[in-house]
Formats: sequence, structure tokens, C-alpha cells
Amino acid sequence: MKRGLLPLLLGLVTILDVVFLALPTLVVLAASFTAGNIVTFPPQGWSLRWYADLVQKPEFLEALGRSLEVGVVCTALAIPAGTLAALALARFRLRGAAFLQIYLLLPFTIPLVVSGVGLMLVFGRLGWLGSIWPVGVACCVVNLPFMIWAVAAAVNHLDPDLENAAWNCGAPPAHAFFTVTLPAVMPGIVTGALVMFILAVNEFLVSLMLVDARTVTLPVLVYNAIRSIITPDLAAVSVVYVVLALAAIAALDRLVGLEIFLKSKQS
Amino acid sequence: MTTNMSATLSRRRLLGTATCAGLAALPLASRFTLAAEPTKPKELIVRAWGGVWVEALEKGVSKPFRERTGIAVRHDLTEDNELRPKIWAAVDQRRTPPVHVNWDTTTNATKSALRGVAEDLSDLANLKEMLPAARPTGFRGVPLINMYSYVYVLAYRDEAFPNGAPDSWQVLLDPRFKGRIALYDDGIGFQPPAQIAGGGKLEDIPDNMEPCWSFMRKVKAQNPLLGEDPDFTTWFQNGEIDLACTILSNARAARQNGIKVSWTVPKEGAKVDTDSMWVPKGLPENELYWAKRYIDFAMTREAQQVWTGELGLPGLRPGLTPPADLVGDPAYPTRPEDFARLLSVPSPVLVQHEAEWSQKFNEIMQG
Amino acid sequence: MTHRPFSLRVLDAIEAVRVRLWPEAFRPLTPLAFLLPALILTGLLAAGLVPLLDASFRPLDPATFRLAESYAAKNYITLLTRPVYGWIALRTFAGAVIVTVVTLILAFPYAWTMVRTRSARLRRCLLSALFLPFFIGQVVRAYGWLIVLGKQGLLNAVLASLGLPPLSILYTYGGVLLGLVQYMLPFAVLMLAPALTAIPKEIELASASLGATPAATFRHVVLPLARPGLVAAAVVVFTLTLTDFAMPEIMGGGSNKFVASAVYDAFFQLADPGLGGALAIALTLVGSLVVGTALAAFGLGTLGYVQERKEAS
Repeated sequence: MKRGLLPLLLGLVTILDVVFLALPTLVVLAASFTAGNIVTFPPQGWSLRWYADLVQKPEFLEALGRSLEVGVVCTALAIPAGTLAALALARFRLRGAAFLQIYLLLPFTIPLVVSGVGLMLVFGRLGWLGSIWPVGVACCVVNLPFMIWAVAAAVNHLDPDLENAAWNCGAPPAHAFFTVTLPAVMPGIVTGALVMFILAVNEFLVSLMLVDARTVTLPVLVYNAIRSIITPDLAAVSVVYVVLALAAIAALDRLVGLEIFLKSKQS
Repeated sequence: MTTNMSATLSRRRLLGTATCAGLAALPLASRFTLAAEPTKPKELIVRAWGGVWVEALEKGVSKPFRERTGIAVRHDLTEDNELRPKIWAAVDQRRTPPVHVNWDTTTNATKSALRGVAEDLSDLANLKEMLPAARPTGFRGVPLINMYSYVYVLAYRDEAFPNGAPDSWQVLLDPRFKGRIALYDDGIGFQPPAQIAGGGKLEDIPDNMEPCWSFMRKVKAQNPLLGEDPDFTTWFQNGEIDLACTILSNARAARQNGIKVSWTVPKEGAKVDTDSMWVPKGLPENELYWAKRYIDFAMTREAQQVWTGELGLPGLRPGLTPPADLVGDPAYPTRPEDFARLLSVPSPVLVQHEAEWSQKFNEIMQG
Repeated sequence: MTHRPFSLRVLDAIEAVRVRLWPEAFRPLTPLAFLLPALILTGLLAAGLVPLLDASFRPLDPATFRLAESYAAKNYITLLTRPVYGWIALRTFAGAVIVTVVTLILAFPYAWTMVRTRSARLRRCLLSALFLPFFIGQVVRAYGWLIVLGKQGLLNAVLASLGLPPLSILYTYGGVLLGLVQYMLPFAVLMLAPALTAIPKEIELASASLGATPAATFRHVVLPLARPGLVAAAVVVFTLTLTDFAMPEIMGGGSNKFVASAVYDAFFQLADPGLGGALAIALTLVGSLVVGTALAAFGLGTLGYVQERKEAS
């Protein structure tokens, strides 16, 4: 009996967590299929009218396209920047490592509202405003610590002896990097990249300061769309996002296997 | 390819000009200067609030403007407060501002005008036709034009008041409604009625507002929810609140969507305010010209009739027909005796003291 | 060695380029080169902080809505003398501590189950459940919570059917913390999972075979090994909570503001970037100070230098 208590407790908390995570999401998803004019639960009759509404709105599809672009730019920048930084922090003995860490955590210790205003001023000076890619850069900047930490967590699995062995066997640095180091930290890169992408396509607070009416992204569009009453099309937007996410996760599962989140191929 | 494109372009311009010339709605002056009319931009960007607000603007102003001039109108739904720093930074950094026309609260527009980022609009032909209240006070030129007025009503859930509307703001202090009342999160619209309900006088604003603050402290003891426009609708719909101080248009939109909400102007009165339009500095000459034409068009009788009618708000152009459901409603003031019941604080006072009031409100509510 | 496979030839080419661009003499600078992209990206943010730092020392002139030409400490004095800012700071700081502790307690079992379960399907479900809540935008998320926790919501319907009194969680401080924990949980799990994966099962088995109870094994073997992950998760959750804007707005009903909301109000409602800047600088300093102290006390988390960890263990 005593032996079973701890696993039981762990299991119970996990179940509680799942309910806690899923409940508000599921309720909103259900509400998007309402036939009525307002978001209610249970829905007033079932229909797909709010989805038909969405598809007919060109500004919605355009904004979705821009958000995906933001996500791609953000992830494409984050993968090399975050991976290299994590490797440097975890593998080299650096002077002032604590200070470096505090500096690299600035994106989390500065409130997003302030990051938005600050980046607007900087991008304005640089003449970057008015395009979509700077929004991707901004999303990468404000979430970069996730990428660094995710890869760093994987670096710590990497057995340094393995890398040393490669070096000792005379493998040139680039070979060692691409055949030993990178595969070993791949789970961290995949996790980090997915988190960066998801956060970028959902970011609105910083993006708000960087977009204009011609470059508005989907989360900003949703945030701004409401002045008087919340209509179910906004819940429908969430469902579109969730479906895209599930598709992405399924594709990832097919391509590399979801196990890669947790284990590198070597360990 | 190039010749082709310029051909279509000039044809479109020609078509646009032709439609323009045939229009009585456009001011005479511009008809005489048609030949010298600056190049039309492909589109104008107009800031608007979402929901019923942008729908009304599209129907009453943007769509007819587009039909007449051939210039597409794109709406930027960024909140007025959030757009302001973007415009200010653009002017400071000598960039083109993000919008051509800013549909804004008069208080916010006045701040921008004081900062010197608004173009002068005194040469717009339709301005002469508007009520005197359309012109801002305290400026040499006309950096903004007030378009309509609106009232911060006391909105209530029908179910909670089976015997009819509450007659005083004091109802907010009824223990029955503890935790079931809502205000704007910066207290906007609530200071004047609170001043009266607290036993003070409107004329004492801003010098002696103690009656207002003491009433607010009593309201705080009632645990009010603080939110923005969509929150009120949501809370009414889900039975979270019974009473709210909100703009009439929001209560009306909620009712039009099947939520059982009514509104009233209690005996102490209710705050009346205005919204305005202005053009930020830093636009290219031709775009500035067409941005001003847009605002001029928004003042025509036909545009005002549809736009403010959809919003359920009295436009500042004389001779408009009120929407059928609002005839005789004290929250849709048309006659002098209607206005006598409402509480108006001069715009300079609001602009100068709003920050301080908002901080005071925060101190009471966040403590 | 007569025929090198294509992939190796690509690597040779990369290596050739590397040798040309990064000769052996540059070797000591390699760590810096690795860090450079991240330093530059974060530098954009630091550059944005400079004008705000400058603004924080300039009071607003309400006649022109411009900041004063000369420097003054007025904005910081306002922060220190207006009690409302003290309240908001206390509420934010206490909230960040509570949310960090609760989130870690809830995240550990989740990460553990996810890492250790033998069922691939369960693992897949748990991973998906982590990512889905991200996709519900702020406004719509508020709606979901209202439906679940509102006065006439699902939770109260369940309680009423059980004959229990209704709960008012929504629009209270507790509601804000609840929303924050739900938002932070996926981040914490993702930070913890790799650290738990790194704990070899054999160590636990060995501990058990030596007669340790599961609880003792957990306390003396698992927890210390999971420490880098726990530190990482704690740092991430604490800093994100400390600076959060959305959840207090969604779940607080307007009267449970955090510091970020006060910053927002200063920038956008009061049009006073000086006061907003002062608040932001103060918050960033406090956050960095706490993180620095925690890292000094508990180690560098998953960013720790690997060799060091080896020496310690």
C-alpha cells in the first residue's frame, strides 16, 4: 500500500492538471459551433455559420497568412541564435556568466508592454516599421529565453565525453558539431522551435505596437475586433488555430516522432 | 506592362473624378478646383473602434466616400489610447503616421492637439453647417472636429428591476447589488454623477471633488467590477452584474443582440461627452488633402444621419432624424431641456485633470 | 576512404568554409561568436529601454503633453510616495512567489508522468494538452474562464447540484493567481521534462533495492537530480508572472492590477511615458535582482556549466 501511494498521488495531480488545462479551452471550442449570435455554453443550437463567416472575410485570411509569416521569421531566427547561445553558455566556462544570464533574461524581466513601446522606438529609428518581418524579429526577441533554456536543457544530456571522443578521433570541428553535438541537442531545438513558433503566431501585445492597418496580424485583429460585444467568430478563430496546431503536431509526430521532445536519439 | 498600368490608372482616376463631379454632397469649393485636385491615394486608413462602431462608420461614411471618390478606406481598429503613442512617435521620428484620419475621443484628440501633432481643419466647408459644439475651445485653429455627443448612461439588467428603471445613482450603493455593479476601469464617465450623488455641485469640478471621491469610496465598498466596453456586455449576458455606467451605444448593441438590458438617465443626471476626428501631421500633401475630404464628408447631413443614427448617438449636425427606438429618450438629447439634465465638463478641464482623476480613482479602487 | 558519402562531403565543404572564416587563431573568441546573435537580438530590447530610462527622469508637462527638457526625480518620487504603487508592487511580488511555488508543485507530477509513462499514446495526449491552451487568444480565454468559473458558470452549477454553496473565484486575487498558474503550467512542464529525462531509471532502482522507500528515493535521489530543471522552471515562471499584463486584466475584474497594468495605464491612459518608464525600470531591476540572487543561491539551472555539475556530483 505504502509503495503505491506516491505514484497514485502523481497520477491524480496529472489528471487534475489535464482538466485544469483543457476545461476553458474546450468550452470555448464548443461555443464556436453555436447557431446563436453570442458566445454561450451550452451553445444555442449547432451550426457552422461562424466558420462560413470567417472564410468570407478576406482580412481574416490575410491576417492569418501574416501571422504564419511572423511565426516563420521568428523561428528561423531563434533556432540558430538560441542554439548557439545555449551551447556557449552550457559548454564554455564564461567570465560573468551570471551577468550574461541576467542580460539574456531581459525579455522576461521587462514587461511586454514596455518591450512593445521600446521596440517601436528602435524599429522606427531603423526605418523597419511597415513590414511584417520586423514583427517576427520582435517576437523572437521577447521569447528568446525559451529557445535558449530549451536547448540548454538538452545540452546537459549531451555527454561531453562523446564530443571529446569525436575531437580526439580527429573529426574536424564542423563534423563534430553536425554529427555529434546537433543530433544530441535536437530534442531541445525541436521543443524550443515549436514553442517559439506557437508564441509568435499568438503574440499580440508587442505586435500591437509594431503593426499598422496594412500589416495587422491575426491575434492583433482579434484583440482589436471587439468594442461592444463578443461574437462567436472569435471563438471560431481559436478553433482554426487549434486545428492548425494539431496538424503541426501530427506532422511533427510523423516526421520525427513526438518522443523527440523528451529524448535525443543518442540517449 | 507599364503603359497598360498607367492606362488603367488614369481611367480609374477619370471615373473617380466623373463620379465626384456629379455629386452634390461634396462641397462646392472642391468642385471648382477639380482640375487642381491632388493625386488620389490608393487608400485612406481611418482609425475606428470595433464592433457596432466600425460597422456604423463603414455604412455611413467610408462606403459612400469610397463610392464617390474611388478611394478605398481601410479601418485600423487599434484602440485610441494605444494608437496615440504610435502617432506621436511617428511625428517625432518624422515618419509617415500610421493613419490618415483618427476617430478619437475628444479628450484624447485634445491631448494630441496640445502636443501639436494635429493638422488644422478650419477650411473644411461643412464645418460651418455644424453646431457650435463641433469646434474645440482654446485653440487658434481647428485641430479636431467634434462629430456627435454621447451619454454615459446607467445601464441595468431588466430582470433585476421588475418595477422599472432605478431613479438615482444611489442605487449602486444598495446592498442587494454588492459585487454586481460595474464601472469603466479608469472611472471615465462616472466622476460628474458621483459628484452630484455625493452631495456636491457640478460647478465645483475640478476645485472641490471631495463629494465625488467620498461617493466613489462607498461604491468601492460594494466591490465593483472594472472593465472596458465588451466586458460590460459579457457581464450582463452572463448574469455577473445588474448595473453599469456605460456608453449608450454599448447597452443598445447588447439589447439588439438579445441581451435583456435597459438604460436610464437618473435624476442626478449623466455625463455627456463628444467624440471627434482629426488628421495627424506628417502625411504627404495629396494624402492630407484626401484625409481632410473624408472628415468633410463625415460632416455632411447624409453621412451624419446614417453614421450617428446607427450608433444611436445625436450627431452635431442640426436637423438629423433620431432613430425610431430613441425618440424622446433622455439619453439621446435633442432639445435644450434634454441637455439641461446632462452633466457636461468643459474639455480643457477634462484634459488637464483626467490623469489626476484616473490616479485618484485607482488609489480608491486598487487599495 | 575511396568514396566519401554525400553527407560527409557537405560537412567537408562546411568545414572548409569554417576554416577560411574562422581560423584557429580565433579559437578563444568562439564562445563570443556563439553568443553574438542572441546578444544582438536582446540588444534591440536593451536599446529600446534607453529612451525609456531617459524619459523616466523627465516629468510630464500637461500643457503640451511633452516631457520636460531637464531631468528630475519626480516620477520615482511619485512611485515611492503614492501608496497605491506600494500595494500594486506587493500584490505583484506576492503573486509571483505563490504562482511559482504552486506551478512547480503541479508541473512536477505532470512532467514525471509524461516522461516515465510506458504508453506512447498517453505521452502524446499529455504533450498535446500542454500546447492547446496557447491558441485561445486573450479575449476569448477570458470568455472561457467566465463560462467555467462565473457566478452562473459550470463550476457553480456542479456545486449547486451537490448541495454546496457557490464559489466566487472569478474577478478576485485568487482568480488572477489561478489564471496565471494555468498559463504558466505548460512552460514549467516543458522546462522540467528534459531534466527528468536525464535521471536514469537505474538510480531509482538502485535506491529502492537498498531499501529506501519511494518517498525517500524521491527526496534524496530524484529531487536533487531534477534541481537544474526546477531552477529553470522557477526562473521562467517567476519572471513571466512578475511582468504579466494579460491575466490580471482578464481574471481580476479591474481591481487586481499588477505592475505591468500600471505601466500600461501610465503609457496609454495617462499619456505619461516618464511615469511608465520609471515603473518599468523599477520592475525590471527588481526582477533581475531576484533572478540574480536565486541563481547565486541555487545554481545556474539548466544553463549550468556541464563540467561543474559533474564535479559537484
